[in-house]
Amino acid sequence: MQYFHSAKELISALYRERDLLSELFEKRKIPFKEEYALELVEYSEERLDFLKERGVLRTNAPFVEIDDQYLQFLETILDVNEEINTSFINEHILQIKQSILYYLQENHESRKYAYVRSIKASLRKAGRITLRNIMDLNRNIEHAFKTEPTYAVKIAKLEHYDRKRQDITLLLDQIERLLGEDEQAFFKSALDEELRQIVLHIRYQIIECRHNLIEIQKQIIEYLNQIKYQSRVTEHLRRIKHLKDQFELKTKTNIHEILSRNNAVIFEPNPSYPLKLSLDYLQTDEAWQSILRVGSKVTNRSGAPGLPLAVNIADDYLRNETDQEAVIDLDAVRNSFFASGNHLFGFLLNYSYPREVSFEEKVTIFCRMVSLFEQELNVTDTYNRDGEIEYAVVYPG
Amino acid sequence: MSMNLPKQTNEIFEVLSRGQFICANSSQENIRRLYSVLDDRFDDFYEYFTAINFVLEHGDDYYYFSRSESKIDLERKIEAAYKWIDIIDFFKTFDSSFGPGYRFTPSDILVRINVDALLKSKLEGLKKYSSEDAYAESLKKIIRMLCNDNFFEMENELSDSYKALSSFRYLEELILSINIPEEVDDAIPQ
Repeated sequence: MQYFHSAKELISALYRERDLLSELFEKRKIPFKEEYALELVEYSEERLDFLKERGVLRTNAPFVEIDDQYLQFLETILDVNEEINTSFINEHILQIKQSILYYLQENHESRKYAYVRSIKASLRKAGRITLRNIMDLNRNIEHAFKTEPTYAVKIAKLEHYDRKRQDITLLLDQIERLLGEDEQAFFKSALDEELRQIVLHIRYQIIECRHNLIEIQKQIIEYLNQIKYQSRVTEHLRRIKHLKDQFELKTKTNIHEILSRNNAVIFEPNPSYPLKLSLDYLQTDEAWQSILRVGSKVTNRSGAPGLPLAVNIADDYLRNETDQEAVIDLDAVRNSFFASGNHLFGFLLNYSYPREVSFEEKVTIFCRMVSLFEQELNVTDTYNRDGEIEYAVVYPG
Repeated sequence: MSMNLPKQTNEIFEVLSRGQFICANSSQENIRRLYSVLDDRFDDFYEYFTAINFVLEHGDDYYYFSRSESKIDLERKIEAAYKWIDIIDFFKTFDSSFGPGYRFTPSDILVRINVDALLKSKLEGLKKYSSEDAYAESLKKIIRMLCNDNFFEMENELSDSYKALSSFRYLEELILSINIPEEVDDAIPQ
């Protein structure tokens, strides 16, 4: 392990690797692979090793991260730390107490002055850090309440933050006592204008902190109550639902009693209030207008009240139209046949019909003639053929 | 009795007598105004409505009417309570912090339906109230039912977002008031 020999060396080393360090700082919450780190130092393993040897970086194969010391430094300076650390405040208070002790024992003016300076610095820091811590606390509480999905963890976190709040309150008491009763001798003898300003300022800060802390306490209590109420509802609902699904809700709980006591209007169907009209109102002009309106509606409907009307019959349907069809008069055919002396099928093939008649139709007419006038015809046992068709030879009877 | 009541009395009666709530966190300004009028003159209103047989009840950020004696039978109330138990159970399964002031859109829930089998089966169970087969339609109908009963409110028509009103607390309180005897409680699986 090697060390930086001077602040200058440290600062210039940090400056040289500013790309890598700022990238690592931004990604401090996720694992960062060493190969990506190499890319940021132009693939020079030496440069990476230089930082590792001096404890700026720490490897956790295959990942690399900034050492905790440097990380804390950056977080504190940049005001991004999420951890609420009350030990810092405590540390400063102890330091102030020590310095005051030295100051009071010391006779040498210039050393006394050095102690006063360190006290001033510590006082400033203590005030600032406390306020900062309270702001972080506030944000963390909000965050835990709104984003933490697990109930148990959420409650534990909020309770933890509540303890932090108590710690900070105690420390504020200590600072206040320090400024007031405990070190009266010091503050009386060493009070110069600057120290007076600092003390005044820190008193303001303490008041601000206290107000914030009271608000935080209220917030935590409210959040915890909300969570407890919610989880109580959820848990109870789960049991009720279970019993309901088992059809045991009516028998095993007091739901009957609860509901028979509950007369909320929400359970009732939507009411309607059919009221009779006021006779006095009907005499007024305003009512007259309404009566006229209702009256016109009534007369409109009076034609066929309640009956649906069909639409008018179109004129087309009512116009006379003649449709002509030539009908073959079978009686006339028979008379001609009796006069012809031909046999029936031959006669029908050559007969002059009043319209065009196909062969199939002629066959049909043959069959109809035979069935209609069977009594008057002589159907012989002789059969002739005409193409596909075989027919009996029929003569007049 | 004071007959010098605010001019909103009629509006208040119209809402409450239909079995609806007047909630402090409604996004409708006139409802919020009715709430503050009720808050200012609670005693006067209480007396006035008692005379016409309605009991003005004050919950946590909401008002509603009840009666001194029941007008409907117990079966009907049990039916309604059962329906609410199923519906609240569904929304609490969707998000255990579901409660008054909770904002959601039906599509938030539908996305979860696809990945959460328990939630899906619970929505199936709600079909008997919605008589709709399709999930989206069924959910829409359930939400509309709760809007009609004044437990939810459509907050933004364009983004189709809804909000649970403070009256939702009434349902929670109703459920909490059902007492489970200890020996029964022990038998319920965790």
